[in-house]
Amino acid sequence: MEKQVIKADPKKWFALYGTLLYQHALPRVNDVEIAEDLVQETFLSALKGLDGYKGEASEKNWLFTILKNKIVDFYRKKATEQSFMSMPDLRAAENDWFDKEGNWAENRMPKDWHASDNPTERKEIQKIINSCKDHLKALQQHVFTLKYLEDLESEEICKVLNISPSNYWVLIHRARLQMRDCVEHYWLKN
Amino acid sequence: MKRFMMKYLMLNCKEATILMAKKEEGKLSILGKMQLSMHTSMCSFCKKFEQQTKQISKESKHVHAEESMSAVANDRIIKMIDEHSF
Repeated sequence: MEKQVIKADPKKWFALYGTLLYQHALPRVNDVEIAEDLVQETFLSALKGLDGYKGEASEKNWLFTILKNKIVDFYRKKATEQSFMSMPDLRAAENDWFDKEGNWAENRMPKDWHASDNPTERKEIQKIINSCKDHLKALQQHVFTLKYLEDLESEEICKVLNISPSNYWVLIHRARLQMRDCVEHYWLKN
Repeated sequence: MKRFMMKYLMLNCKEATILMAKKEEGKLSILGKMQLSMHTSMCSFCKKFEQQTKQISKESKHVHAEESMSAVANDRIIKMIDEHSF
């Protein structure tokens, strides 16, 4: 059987997926220049790895996998640079959310709402999530982004951010409380 | 016995919401799952919390920016691709 030759056309890939990759990267790193750099590095890695590209995954998935690794690397680097970043005292902060018995504090009780599956509502809630995420404090935001926007497992997040599992669970719990509260606020406002 | 059950098996809302995050990753024991479902069947706030948080989790993966890359960066990347292609 004749060996199939895969013709790679990185310029066409960029035309097709450059914007999508950038739009994916930006909310995950929160910085225009870094997002642009990550897209550039993604294509550089893709060009260097062209020989290794077997055409098994679609070009789009392949590029997104490269970008994902770049985003995780970005957080890994950030964690080493900011090793002085101390754990906030979260146990005290949780008193805002629950009373002494561990029941919901009166002003924090979840209200009745949900977004439906129609594209307009989904787009709306995604926008709200994006801006609420920006209100999270540094480490909480990193944990939330890696867990929910990048879909990493907790063990991997602990390694990337160099935090202990117990700190991870405290951070993610706090981030989930805050995110839900913030999304609710903007959702009901609209 | 009933009092014992209440004290050791019943979760409060704070504990319940912590267990939900663990459940999401499949890191909850059978006892934990039982305690959690018992709690959410009785607590409408935690039930809402769980449903809304699930929705946020699902939609977070699709979060993306609306704007495009700057023309400068765009040209820079095209130039780089040209230099590496032959």
